[in-house]
Amino acid sequence: MRQQYAWRSMLLNGFLAFVATLIVLQMVRIQASAEAEQFRKQADDFAGEYKVYYPERGEIYDRNGHLLAGNHTVYEVGVDTTTVRDPHSVAMAVSVNLGKNYNTVYSNILNPPPGISYLIVDNFASPEAVAYLKELKKELNESENPTPSLVGLEFSPRLERSYPENSLASNILGFVNLEGRGYFGIEEKYNDLLAGNAVRVWIPSDPNRAVEIPRIPNGTSLILTINRDLQDAVEKILDQSLYDHGARHGTIIVMDPKNGDILAMASTPRMDLNNFQNYGAIYSNASEYNRAISMPYEPGSVIKIFTMAAALDTGLVNPNTTFLDTGEFQIGGVTIKNWDEEAWGMQTMVGCLQHSLNVCLAWLATQLGPQNFYSYMDRFGFGSLTGLDMAGEAAGRLKVPGDADWYPVDLGTNSFGQGISATPLQLMTAASAIANKGHMVTPHTLYAMLRDGHQFNVPPQYAGSPIKAETAATLTEMLAVSLESEASAALVPGYRVAGKTGTAQIPTPYGFYDFSQTNTSFVGWGPVDDPQFMIYVWLERPTSSIWGSYTAAPVFSEVAQKTVILLDIPPDTVRLQMLAR
Amino acid sequence: METIHRINHAHSQAPWRVQRQWISIFLLVVIGFGMIATLYLMVTSQAAIVGREIQDLRLEIIGIEHNNADLQTELAHLTSKGEIERRAYALRFRPIEPEELEYLYVPGYVAPNGVTLASAPELQPSLPNTPSEYTQSLLEWLDEKLQAPGRGLR
Repeated sequence: MRQQYAWRSMLLNGFLAFVATLIVLQMVRIQASAEAEQFRKQADDFAGEYKVYYPERGEIYDRNGHLLAGNHTVYEVGVDTTTVRDPHSVAMAVSVNLGKNYNTVYSNILNPPPGISYLIVDNFASPEAVAYLKELKKELNESENPTPSLVGLEFSPRLERSYPENSLASNILGFVNLEGRGYFGIEEKYNDLLAGNAVRVWIPSDPNRAVEIPRIPNGTSLILTINRDLQDAVEKILDQSLYDHGARHGTIIVMDPKNGDILAMASTPRMDLNNFQNYGAIYSNASEYNRAISMPYEPGSVIKIFTMAAALDTGLVNPNTTFLDTGEFQIGGVTIKNWDEEAWGMQTMVGCLQHSLNVCLAWLATQLGPQNFYSYMDRFGFGSLTGLDMAGEAAGRLKVPGDADWYPVDLGTNSFGQGISATPLQLMTAASAIANKGHMVTPHTLYAMLRDGHQFNVPPQYAGSPIKAETAATLTEMLAVSLESEASAALVPGYRVAGKTGTAQIPTPYGFYDFSQTNTSFVGWGPVDDPQFMIYVWLERPTSSIWGSYTAAPVFSEVAQKTVILLDIPPDTVRLQMLAR
Repeated sequence: METIHRINHAHSQAPWRVQRQWISIFLLVVIGFGMIATLYLMVTSQAAIVGREIQDLRLEIIGIEHNNADLQTELAHLTSKGEIERRAYALRFRPIEPEELEYLYVPGYVAPNGVTLASAPELQPSLPNTPSEYTQSLLEWLDEKLQAPGRGLR
């Protein structure tokens, strides 16, 4: 009997050992098979999943710490079709609370696309709506009845861009689209800094293997040079000016000519950045988003200050040099005339600027010669980008001898701002050399960066010195006297300012000029003895008057009066008294 | 004496005794493995629980950060230019005219030069000072010992 049990036992042991050997052999065979790599990959795929954690996008502040661009929570609402118990209730709840179509949601839950087990119902659900749905789901879960039930309805919070000031400074800030990418202005230029670095983490399916979610540093926050209150005031003045003067569009920039800080930059049209989906309805092309930097135009007589600067700097003339204006000047086979087609007789250089005489300036350009004239224009930065730290800047066009489309007459017309195109910002940058003792600043909007609790201030940069300090001082005085002599509408009570109007005919696509409409401009700065603001005004096709002296000049004065209040710049008499103490 | 020796020999070779020895050894091995498995399960489950708690705390931090961002944006909405202006007009304030301004000379006053928004640098998490004996699982300890170059088990 005992012998019989022993045999049975040995047989069973042998059988089990055989099976075990077969299993081991099969394991080894699978491990060494051609499909082994594929099996390992499948195992890895099911072992967990990669999840991307995005940092909070950096905020944008104005120079006084007012938030211009922040973030707020929105929810992604989805349905896990593998766990959903009551599609009808889920579709109904989503339909009522999130405004989604019941039939679409219901049919999608019942018939999800092949291979999809998670359906996104809403990408931008509000926290209030989600809070209500969460509460409803909880209440239904606690009830004893299996239906109705919201099991399978999932909520994932994330941060979305928010602009508390709505359309204020929209042309400077730009916006962030649904994918989190910045477009236009600061949002595009500094997108990488603001967005930060996303972190990809492998999350194992094994509940015993808890992987720590790494701490993700937020994106860099930016402090801009923009003054929110001044920006608001300038935008209001611009909108009112368009209405008062019947202009189609306009631009106003306020800059600190000493360091290039852009204090305000208004352009039309603007849009509510929280509804950036309206972009297509407001703008027909990208250059319209910020005319101040993206839309070059022929500025007209504003350019005369640079022609005069070149003439003074080379020693060709001084303020008292006289010129006999006969009302006509021949160059390249074309007759140049003054704006009023009149002869103004004997004029000093101050008179040439004061009366904005095309003939006088064309004569100056020919006396300088093309090489000198275009060399100065190049040093003033025409035809080149200013280096502004905003996306979408255009360079304008400066034709020079040697270009296929340059003709000798261009030397004459360029001297008074026709046949040359520049953006308002380029003109302002060039003019900063005159206001800032010959040193041209690089305009910028970034004041400082904030990262990990540290603030890194951005130092001002200079773009060369196209003219001597003496030339800058002389020309500033000439411009101030010009405005005072003609009792210009640009004058600012209590403050001595220098500046120049511009009235330019508009070239048509057919190569001719439209004589019925103009672009009017004004560039000016003050106080003359210690410039603290520089303002550029451009009104497109005003209908109240075609002249810059009647349209752009009074707008300059209005902006300047607001600027001195908001920047705490006391009147000249008060300031000089303070300095004397 | 011979008899005693024979009895001892017979006793030591008894089949039931040999069988009991084998069963004891087998049980000893089973108990040993059981103890190790229990210890392993205890340590790994504790590590997993702590890991989950850390994960939950991280998620809580993210939630708080979202909440902070929401509050900051809400505050910015309440103090936005348009909102402040609306409230100012409602309180019968109006923009000042240039001729109404009066400038006073304040000896020693220096106008603020730019804003500083930097907060204190964020605290960096300090290195863990708990000995590894209290944080490692047995397998992790074994793995570390085996992978340590030129050391092996102590």
